[in-house]
Amino acid sequence: MRVLVVEDYPPIRKAVAKALREAGFAVDETGNGEEGLWYATNNEYDVVILDVMLPGIDGLTILKRLRAEGHAAHVLMLTAKDAVPDRVKALDLGADDYLVKPFALDELLARVRALARRAYCVKNPCLEIADLRVETTTQRVWRASEEVQLTAREYALLEYLALRQGEVVSRTEIWEHVYEFKSDADSNVVDVYVGYLRKKIERPPKPILIHTVRGRGYSLGASK
Amino acid sequence: MMLSIRMRLLLWMTGGMAILLIVFAMVVYGMLSRSLRNSFDEVLLASARTIGGAVERDGAKVKFDMDEREAPEFYRLARPDYFQLWFESGEDLALSPSLGTRNLDRFSALRDSPIYRPLRLPDGRAGRAVGLLFTPKADEDTKGSIPVQRVVLVVARETAPLDSSIRQIRIFLAAAAAGTLLLTVLVAAVVVRRGLKPLDALAARIAAVRQEELSAPIPAEGIPVEIAPVVRRLNDLLSRLDDAFQRERGFTSDAAHELRTPLAGMRCTLELALSQPRAGSDYCQAITECLEVVRQMQGIVESLLTLARFESGQATVRPETIDVRELIETGWQPWAGMASSRSITFESRLPPNLACIADRGAARMIVAALLANAAEYTDDRGRIEVAGLTAGKFVSLTVANTGCSLAEEDVRHVFERFWRGDPARAGTEFHCGLGLALVQRAMANLGGSVSARIAGGIFTITLTLPATTAQL
Repeated sequence: MRVLVVEDYPPIRKAVAKALREAGFAVDETGNGEEGLWYATNNEYDVVILDVMLPGIDGLTILKRLRAEGHAAHVLMLTAKDAVPDRVKALDLGADDYLVKPFALDELLARVRALARRAYCVKNPCLEIADLRVETTTQRVWRASEEVQLTAREYALLEYLALRQGEVVSRTEIWEHVYEFKSDADSNVVDVYVGYLRKKIERPPKPILIHTVRGRGYSLGASK
Repeated sequence: MMLSIRMRLLLWMTGGMAILLIVFAMVVYGMLSRSLRNSFDEVLLASARTIGGAVERDGAKVKFDMDEREAPEFYRLARPDYFQLWFESGEDLALSPSLGTRNLDRFSALRDSPIYRPLRLPDGRAGRAVGLLFTPKADEDTKGSIPVQRVVLVVARETAPLDSSIRQIRIFLAAAAAGTLLLTVLVAAVVVRRGLKPLDALAARIAAVRQEELSAPIPAEGIPVEIAPVVRRLNDLLSRLDDAFQRERGFTSDAAHELRTPLAGMRCTLELALSQPRAGSDYCQAITECLEVVRQMQGIVESLLTLARFESGQATVRPETIDVRELIETGWQPWAGMASSRSITFESRLPPNLACIADRGAARMIVAALLANAAEYTDDRGRIEVAGLTAGKFVSLTVANTGCSLAEEDVRHVFERFWRGDPARAGTEFHCGLGLALVQRAMANLGGSVSARIAGGIFTITLTLPATTAQL
């Protein structure tokens, strides 16, 4: 899952970004409104965390522009203003959620996870494909009754595939949603990581779950 | 004890009415009793004249000859009237049979006109008598000039019926007055209650005012003209109170807002550090970051406290002569390094021996805030200029910097608390939008003033301070 954090106060921005990364998200961060708008319009984010008061362009304007341009990213507004009219205004401009500073980091993470699930029309935080179980809340994975140990990157890849189970997911899409803007990886690393993932979750004699669709990408699902 | 208006009105109305009624009753009583007494006297006189008419002169001889039927009141047995006739010389002439052997008091010093006197009748009853002195009339035959003795007549009659009538009148008047007074109290109570209804209504309206709705004035329609000024004053007071509350609320919400951001930063940093076991250096970094945030918050809180002290007039001012040049040079030192690294030119064009009168601590704070602002907002390779001059009894000091991105009309906001030209600088620096507000309040405390000007990208602050102690 890829998240954009636009927040000008460095302690909050750094802590939120780090917490999100530790929770398995690919995170891009900026403290500037104009930069934030550029990131948001030029990348596919699952969730955008947007501060209201920003240098350059303020958060509400960024939100308006994003919605006007038809971007579907789920937006969570962060602000120190807690008055009802402020919250109503933000939600009416197209925000999906609203959090007042100071907030609990755990709550922020839970809300981001909820927004990410909503982006793929999934309600259950526990994703199941045949005998594979992915717990998005704790980031633990089981195959049958056996827990599978994954690295953060492998988990992110699996979660993305699991959220889009049954669909054919292209390498670019994977790359867009699992890798940060600043990572030096290109879409070839996707194949490498799919390989690692296969080794861990498809150990024989367990049936194959990740199917390669030639020329299009990958698809996660029970074999027919 | 303060009596209620209702009680007061009631007391005054009742008291006034009681006095009026008493006076009125006494006048009526006086008139009635006098007219009753007068008519009694007239009747008495008429009786006397009848008796007098029965005294006849026959030549030199005077005789009393009366028919009982002409004046039966003197002859009846129960409660009779009395008369007695004397010659002027004192000799008895005649007396009413009812007197028997008793005598009436003979009036002395009688003249031609009748004289009335109260007296006690021989049988003990209270009575009233009329005394007459007259010459007995001559009969037809003895007309002539024979001198004859004049006769004294006293007629007495009991006054019990008169007294009882007068007493009845008295009782009636007293009862009427008391009744009227009672009615007055009742009517007054109703009238007063009705009359004071607008006050009750006003009280209800005032009671309906809540702290959150001070801006809504107390409605003045339906309020009588006498209370309208009270309502106006009250509305004035309310609106001033509302302003104060607004300022207070604005301040608290601003302060809360300003402190929330660093607080959120600290919370995030700490929660992240605690979310899983980490290396010692990670904790170290988190603590360092939090310490930085705490320093910022301390700066904000201290500025707020200083501001509150200036605004409430609690700050103590110890005026002394201060060398302005030295003040500026000392104030610039912390920024000199940063300025040269950004190629900012700092020029101090102050005449030597320029001195002002101010509190040293406050003056340092003002200069520090102004120079910090200038250093912060000047563009790279920009210019900061400090100039000063003595004008009459005042010293004028200007701090100007280039690189001002504010619009010219923003100048009216620069002294507002928490106002920032660029909303984005929120909390990122030590600047929290309090600097200029502090400067303004501190200058007011020092007996000086401050103004700002924005023109052509140059932001200029002008301070005016007393140059001599005479101004303080």
